[in-house]
Amino acid sequence: MRAYLLRRLWQSALTLVLATIVVFLGVRALPGDPALAFAGEERDPASLAAIRAQYGFDDPLLLQYGTFVANSLQGDLGRSTRTDIPVTEMLAAALPVTLELAVLSLAVAIVIGVGAGVLAAVRQGRPAEWAANAVALLGLSVPNFWLGLILILYLAVGAGLFPASGYVPFTEDPLANLHHLVLPALVLGTGLAAVVMRQTRSSMLEALGADYIRTARAKGLGPGALIGRHALRNSLVVVVTIVGLQLGGLISGAVVTERIFGLPGFGKMTLDAVFQRDYPVIQGVVLVTASAYIIVNFLVDLAYSLIDPRIRVAGAAT
Amino acid sequence: MSRPPSLPAGRAGRRALAATGLAVTCLIAACAPVQPAEGPAEETTGQSVGEPADAGAVEQGGELVVALSAEPDRLDPVTSRSLYSRYVFHTMCEKLYDLDEDTEIVPQLATALPEVSEDGLTVTIPVREGALFADGTPFDAAAVKTTLERSLSAETSARRGELGPITSVEAPDPTTVVITLAEPFAPLTAALADRAGMILSPTALTALGEDFATAPVCVGPFKFVNRVAQNSIEVERDPNYYDADRVFLDRITYRIITDASIRAANLQSGDAQVADTLSTQDVPGLRDTEGITVLETDSLGYQGVTFNVGNVDGLGTPPGDVGTPVANDPRVREAFELSVDREGLVQAVFNGLYSPACSPISPDSEFSSDAAQACTEFDPARSRELLEEAGVQQPYPLSMIVSNNPDTLRLAQALQANLEEGGFALSIEPVEYSSLLDQQDRGDFESLQLGWSGRVDPDANITNFLGTGGGQNVAGYSNPELDTVLEQARTSTDTQERVALYGEAVSLIQADDPIVYLYRQRNLSGVTDDVQGVQVFPDGVLRVAFAGLTG
Repeated sequence: MRAYLLRRLWQSALTLVLATIVVFLGVRALPGDPALAFAGEERDPASLAAIRAQYGFDDPLLLQYGTFVANSLQGDLGRSTRTDIPVTEMLAAALPVTLELAVLSLAVAIVIGVGAGVLAAVRQGRPAEWAANAVALLGLSVPNFWLGLILILYLAVGAGLFPASGYVPFTEDPLANLHHLVLPALVLGTGLAAVVMRQTRSSMLEALGADYIRTARAKGLGPGALIGRHALRNSLVVVVTIVGLQLGGLISGAVVTERIFGLPGFGKMTLDAVFQRDYPVIQGVVLVTASAYIIVNFLVDLAYSLIDPRIRVAGAAT
Repeated sequence: MSRPPSLPAGRAGRRALAATGLAVTCLIAACAPVQPAEGPAEETTGQSVGEPADAGAVEQGGELVVALSAEPDRLDPVTSRSLYSRYVFHTMCEKLYDLDEDTEIVPQLATALPEVSEDGLTVTIPVREGALFADGTPFDAAAVKTTLERSLSAETSARRGELGPITSVEAPDPTTVVITLAEPFAPLTAALADRAGMILSPTALTALGEDFATAPVCVGPFKFVNRVAQNSIEVERDPNYYDADRVFLDRITYRIITDASIRAANLQSGDAQVADTLSTQDVPGLRDTEGITVLETDSLGYQGVTFNVGNVDGLGTPPGDVGTPVANDPRVREAFELSVDREGLVQAVFNGLYSPACSPISPDSEFSSDAAQACTEFDPARSRELLEEAGVQQPYPLSMIVSNNPDTLRLAQALQANLEEGGFALSIEPVEYSSLLDQQDRGDFESLQLGWSGRVDPDANITNFLGTGGGQNVAGYSNPELDTVLEQARTSTDTQERVALYGEAVSLIQADDPIVYLYRQRNLSGVTDDVQGVQVFPDGVLRVAFAGLTG
């Protein structure tokens, strides 16, 4: 077990180092010059040189990389070239926004998706199913930005039910925080809800045709218990897997949603940083994301090997 | 508040409805309706800068939410480079000089315009007595000296170029600042009416050093409270301000909303009371919206097409031979200028909300003249003749790099149609903005569409771009005759002489067309009617410091 653990640790560390190299070189391979992008309208050669010197952009690549790694190990990801705010501070502010949005969108997706999926399966071949299918198709095909604009136009500007955009931190005012996130969560959640609905429907149909359901029905179980306790419960395994797989998509979908609703989250920060060629911010974002993936993968592998000793043994043999 | 006098097109239906309503009302009240104007509604090009708040009509206190179109960069006037930071500085960092609504320079922290010595080398500025910084420390000439010296010496300073050839700054007594120059430099006063003239608290500078931007301290009606990256900046009323009686609001929150239609939506929903840089697509609708006023002022900048006439090895290298007819034969560039229907472009692409422009000097500038506003008429037939004379193939193939945003692309397409008539085949190459900057500096373009936000002093709108070796002379242009005129204009202290010289400079530029100027943007800002005292002058800065809520 210890050998396995050590090997996985070593592999993870290697992956992380590779990730930092790819990010570091990738950012610098982008066309455009960070000093130029930052200099704005007053970009005379002297001030461009001063900016490059300040951020070490004129150092040899190897030295720049060394500095980046050495500083990162000490928890210093540098400062944004644009705002001069420390990158760690920006990440700490942006991450909760995106996570909160993701969790709320997931809730929207599950409530709408599972509900509509069950309805469609139980009412198979009837108008309710067609309606649910049509809605799902719409949810899948309507682009985020369009839905966002429409909701802002009708629910925020027209009806005045929600704020048109912006964000209030949860710690400042929990109610206002949720109020600001309803529309973004709806927008981001509907796309996923459609996927969940279709998955729930097909799993439910499969489950409803299974032998154990026939048995349960034969035993005289009512429709509520039959669907809730037996069919849905067995269908959810697949649904949960799909939801898990879609989480990544949720985070990337957040880029557009955050931009429309002016949410100061991870996605908007990344996009702005790329347009601004804000190297320290892009590096910081990718480093944190890559680390998160690597750590989660490591923990999952660890869990697998604890649950199923064969993985450990098979792993040790290779 | 003034509303534009005429109605944009597309309101006809609603107007008819309103007329019916009026007729019905009048039947009951037995009155005669005023005849509405007939015929197509024409667009306005009038200015509307906004009115100062009426102290009797506004409440004390309250919070104003301003929707900002871009995130300011560093909140340190010495290192800031983004124009949007000026919007925020305006409420918390006063300057030695300010602009009034006629773009004339007026004293702010200074008490009078600078006194310039006979030889133009010594500039004496009298400054205010009794003003306090937001941290309670006194403002005086020594603080001015500290700030200006920091602007001149700090490695990260973005102000050095604007301040010109200053050799020393002295403070002989608390109310007098004496600046010594290596050579006369007329644009200095205008620079001191922008970020270079914002004076920082020496105490805060010592305490914060390079981190001054995290908690800026200046003299101003408001003081910095906090900033949430990508989201908002908050300022609150400064009790130490010397003219506190003119301040009504308690707090101003700047919220960053980069999408123009979302900014407009925030204005309509009442989530924001002020929004800058409205889209020309949204303005007609907003003008129609009850309770919203659109402020419009011409900007000091320009948008144009720059030709690569000599940028072979990149910016900062001596001009070379690009080798194409458009680079080497001014007749080809003149043909381009003749093919541009500026009026038509502005109508088609920007709903007529922007103004056609033929020179780098705004008609609002005090340095404008007839010569500076001379314009070439649209004449595609003459354009084809010129191309014929130049002996180039027709249609003449020309590539143009443009920034890949919707407005610029629409402009480029309209331009393409114009140029086809004049004998050009324009190919549009959309490039992402940061890449475009890189390409233009490297000289990797035939022509490019880009603009300049504009400064009060014309020198800052011309010399850098077209003077030999200018910091942003991406065209690689060099014309000794123009250099001489610009040098004379920069060192002259006589305004009338400068006006004449800049007129001459514009004629020289138009004879050679290294840049073909197209249009001037207007500063379009929206304000809800429950706010009074929001103003926008031609420098584009949203002036909200002395606004108040009407309840």
